[in-house]
Amino acid sequence: MENNRQLTAQQLMRKVSEAWFYVTDLNLYLDTHPDDTRALRMFAEACENAKACTEAFEKRCYPLTVCSADCDSDWEWLVGVWPSQKMA
Amino acid sequence: MFIFSKMTQIPVKINNKNPRLASYILSQYGGPDGELGASLRYLSQRFAQTDKSGIALLTDIGTEELGHLEMIGSIITQLTKGEGAKSFDRYGVGDYYIDHANGVYPASASGVPFSAAYLQSKADPIADIMEDMAAEQKARATYDNILRMCDDPDVTSIIRYLREREVVHFQRFGELLDRLQSKIR
Repeated sequence: MENNRQLTAQQLMRKVSEAWFYVTDLNLYLDTHPDDTRALRMFAEACENAKACTEAFEKRCYPLTVCSADCDSDWEWLVGVWPSQKMA
Repeated sequence: MFIFSKMTQIPVKINNKNPRLASYILSQYGGPDGELGASLRYLSQRFAQTDKSGIALLTDIGTEELGHLEMIGSIITQLTKGEGAKSFDRYGVGDYYIDHANGVYPASASGVPFSAAYLQSKADPIADIMEDMAAEQKARATYDNILRMCDDPDVTSIIRYLREREVVHFQRFGELLDRLQSKIR
């Protein structure tokens, strides 16, 4: 995660979306191949990576789910790029 | 339950404006083979499924399609952002502007409002999964038609991606159908 410091918000988001896409694709595969041990191992790794990428993004940019929003002084949930908007 | 996540499956970033292209892509929002119909179809049919793989697959693909609905809405919004009545008219979609202006309304490219008549829920796993496989092919064919009309690389890359997902869903539904049929035999 050390090299994440040089990445822009857009590049970090790309990593987050790629990581979660991998989770989704394996998820659908496992629904119809629940006994595939290799896919099960890949899924566990994919989930760990997706969580780490999400954490790296949220630390640098803004919350992606509501419980990650900082509410010490103001409502941080309003911050960030919503899906209808374009990332700068 | 569903928990909202402030991201899309792949980032949507469209630089050019084109209200006409937006009105074509709208068909995958609220048209006969669009993402709203797909998610509603799967998320409704799952209640009558008894096979665990079937319940999971319909829930998970239905959820992914909801995310795709959001991506389509985002493409339409970005293609029309800041465009006024005159621009919509020049692009030949003044009629859409009269009814919805820059709003995203679930309708087909030809202007027919979304209808639940586009989908079925029969409580018959074989009938439902066969409909789902056909639905994935029709959605894929609609994305092919959009690609024939589209020369904006920002849009094309996302439409190609969504098209590919329909092919994957078709594959997974086919595997589920095999599983259900082998249980009958």
